[in-house]
Amino acid sequence: MGKILKYDDNRFKSVYLSYNFTLKIAEEEIAKSVISCFALSKGSKKYRTSKEIEKYLASLYGSNFEVNVEKIGDLFNFEFRIICVNKNYLPNEEDVLSKCIDFLNEIIYFPNINDGKFDNEIFEREKKTVIDYIEKRKDEKIKYAVSRAEELINKGTTAGAFVYGDLEEAKNTSNEDCVRSYMNIINNSLKTVVISGNLTGYDNIEDKIREVFGDNFGDIANEDEIFESINLENVFENKITEVKEEMDTVQAAICVGMKNFKETEEDYYIANMYNAILGTTPSSKLFQNVREKASLAYTARSRYYRFKKTYVIYAGIEKMNYEKAKDIILEQISDMSSGNISDEEFNTAKASILSDLKEYKDSKFAMAKFLYMNYITKMSISLEDMILNFENVTKEDVITYAKNVEVKLIYFLGGEA
Amino acid sequence: MNTIKEEFSKELNERTYSTHLSNGLTVYICKKEKQSKKIGMFGTKYGSVHNDFIDITTNERVKVPDGVAHYLEHKLFEQEGANALDLFSKEGISSNAYTSFDHTVYYFETADKFDLGLEMLIKLVRTPYFTKENVEKERGIIGQEISMYDDDPSFSVYFEALKNMYHVNPVNIDIAGTIESISHITKDILYTCYNTFYNLNNMFIVIIGDVDVEDTINKIEEHVKKYTRENRTNEIIKYTLNEPDSIVKDFSEKDMKLSMPLINIGFKEEIALKNDVVKMDILSQIVSEMYLAKNSDFYEKMYNKEMVSDYMYMFYEGAKEYSHLILTTESKCPKKAAEEIKKYVINLKNEKIDEELLEITKKQLLGEFIMKSEDPHNSYRRIIDTILNENDLYYSIELLKNVTVLDVKEFLNKLNEENCTVSIVK
Repeated sequence: MGKILKYDDNRFKSVYLSYNFTLKIAEEEIAKSVISCFALSKGSKKYRTSKEIEKYLASLYGSNFEVNVEKIGDLFNFEFRIICVNKNYLPNEEDVLSKCIDFLNEIIYFPNINDGKFDNEIFEREKKTVIDYIEKRKDEKIKYAVSRAEELINKGTTAGAFVYGDLEEAKNTSNEDCVRSYMNIINNSLKTVVISGNLTGYDNIEDKIREVFGDNFGDIANEDEIFESINLENVFENKITEVKEEMDTVQAAICVGMKNFKETEEDYYIANMYNAILGTTPSSKLFQNVREKASLAYTARSRYYRFKKTYVIYAGIEKMNYEKAKDIILEQISDMSSGNISDEEFNTAKASILSDLKEYKDSKFAMAKFLYMNYITKMSISLEDMILNFENVTKEDVITYAKNVEVKLIYFLGGEA
Repeated sequence: MNTIKEEFSKELNERTYSTHLSNGLTVYICKKEKQSKKIGMFGTKYGSVHNDFIDITTNERVKVPDGVAHYLEHKLFEQEGANALDLFSKEGISSNAYTSFDHTVYYFETADKFDLGLEMLIKLVRTPYFTKENVEKERGIIGQEISMYDDDPSFSVYFEALKNMYHVNPVNIDIAGTIESISHITKDILYTCYNTFYNLNNMFIVIIGDVDVEDTINKIEEHVKKYTRENRTNEIIKYTLNEPDSIVKDFSEKDMKLSMPLINIGFKEEIALKNDVVKMDILSQIVSEMYLAKNSDFYEKMYNKEMVSDYMYMFYEGAKEYSHLILTTESKCPKKAAEEIKKYVINLKNEKIDEELLEITKKQLLGEFIMKSEDPHNSYRRIIDTILNENDLYYSIELLKNVTVLDVKEFLNKLNEENCTVSIVK
């Protein structure tokens, strides 16, 4: 049986419903799979065109449907999600949610496929859309720099792939390939439905979901393999890789990639603390030293990739300040491992993490994500216990952890305009 | 005792309280039952367009360099011996600020330290501390912020559209100014602007969250009193150059080596006041959904011809100083697409309006309003608009329910060749 995760709270007025297909996917399959999901979202047996779909959603009080694609470590998640208003907030208590569940089922399981092919017009257009998405990756500079750093540090694994896949693969995708990818997704994925929001008046929503999706929402043979494939280790060279890429931009970007080779599942809380002290708050080392003291950047942050146990630091700087920025960033990393962390830095990081967690329940999206992550990592922890675990992290834990963080990549982009 | 006004929206199930304190300050509190997050905002009706005014301390007219309001926003975070951003973050309270064309806002968000956050916010805004050194230090940081926007295609296409529309109105200048203009900003200029525009009768506080209304108002009054050294009540005199009705030019193109070029089509409109601003906003959303969104015949045609990509929509921006509509989309063949869209939009006034479609669109927008009202950020945006435009708080929902074919027709008549400009960034 597929898993249903539910969060019900009447502080909301609406409901977020998401049907997730999580699977292991080869790099060359990504673009095909994305095209197939986009094609699904643009037409079904009942709603032949995107226009018909949108008209129907408008009539359901602007219910908002979209397909979201994301990497979860080395896994891929294809999410079909819809947001709608709870009936108690609508004239005549119109039950929009039940219609939305039926709608998702129609979109996912009743595609407009004939003779092993999607409607050709939709297929060709969505193929173009995915090609456009891949090509416009370079249009937003800092985002591009971070995604290139992710790619370089996770070389050879799915986590390093661009989320919409490879350009040549996309161009070479045939309609039949796409149908095969669709079958692969619905047959070989871990299926999870997350429903989060105001479920007043829907006491048996799980039954309704199981009834609508029926046998399609069932078990798969390779479930364990999916859980285990969330992090496939890639090979690292025994040195720091330095990459420079030219681009006509006013501002240049510097990224530093790091990895902790000895991190275990239990280090999750410590790793988040490490990241917060280093670069997620205005009191963090990067913000204080790169921006406030040296006036080199407006943006200077770090990002933690939980499943890959990696980090990417990024800052937008003037090209001529490259060496200066690099030295300051590397100094912050070495300060972390040498134990040069003030009580203030440590306490601020903790306060920031705890404050975010305390606000999770205000957001149906944050709660949906929390439930899903809990399930995919088999952590099964309550929000309250998670808060406790963060409270228990000590500065010594962070310093011990920091000693195993190694710089593996320095990437520099642009500034040529 | 302060008189507190209570307003309620049945559709959004939302209650908002407001009052004017005797010190001149306007206060709004939107009560969000059961919500953990509390937001406090302290703002002034002073933004990037206010660069020509009477210095309240000398009574002399001054013109200040572009980007001062934004620079001031950055520097107000600097308190004696500490950076307020850092002080907030040490308490686990997140804080930030933004500057727009016509207002500047400082804010914090917290789950459990509201009282502390409120006092810190008021102290921050009421006690400027500018020195030669700290003003100098910020130049590099703001310079990088400007460079970041220079590389941002959606920001560029939007600003080029504004430049095409406005001759002399400072809305055609980047909010942060330029590297050159900020090089002229000094500590004295910052104090001049602060003294003139950060007066309580030009300012407002907005609170969103599950807080006690009376208690919060009392605390605001108390803290403001404690941290206000001087509050000038003279009238603020601002100068705006006479902006012609005409546009500057009907086309511009900028090369940023994009893989997917961006298009903004602007329509310069007559200045709208009070509830008319809301009306323009609602009608732009309705027209956008009816004629440009994914459920429209036009979008379907353009998308299938690969003339536009993912999205196409229109929005309205209006204040006492400016008024325009912007239609935004992206296209691999931007010139051709923009021409076709422009022709289509201008001709809409000649089409018969589909009443059934209008009714579905109203239903759609009502649902979207309800969904958006869950987001506390949406509540404060509504309140700030009300403060700036002096419109009725929940007028948008009343209006939405009552929009007629005639209203749509009247709106479509405003979309003309003469007031239309195309901005392309490719």
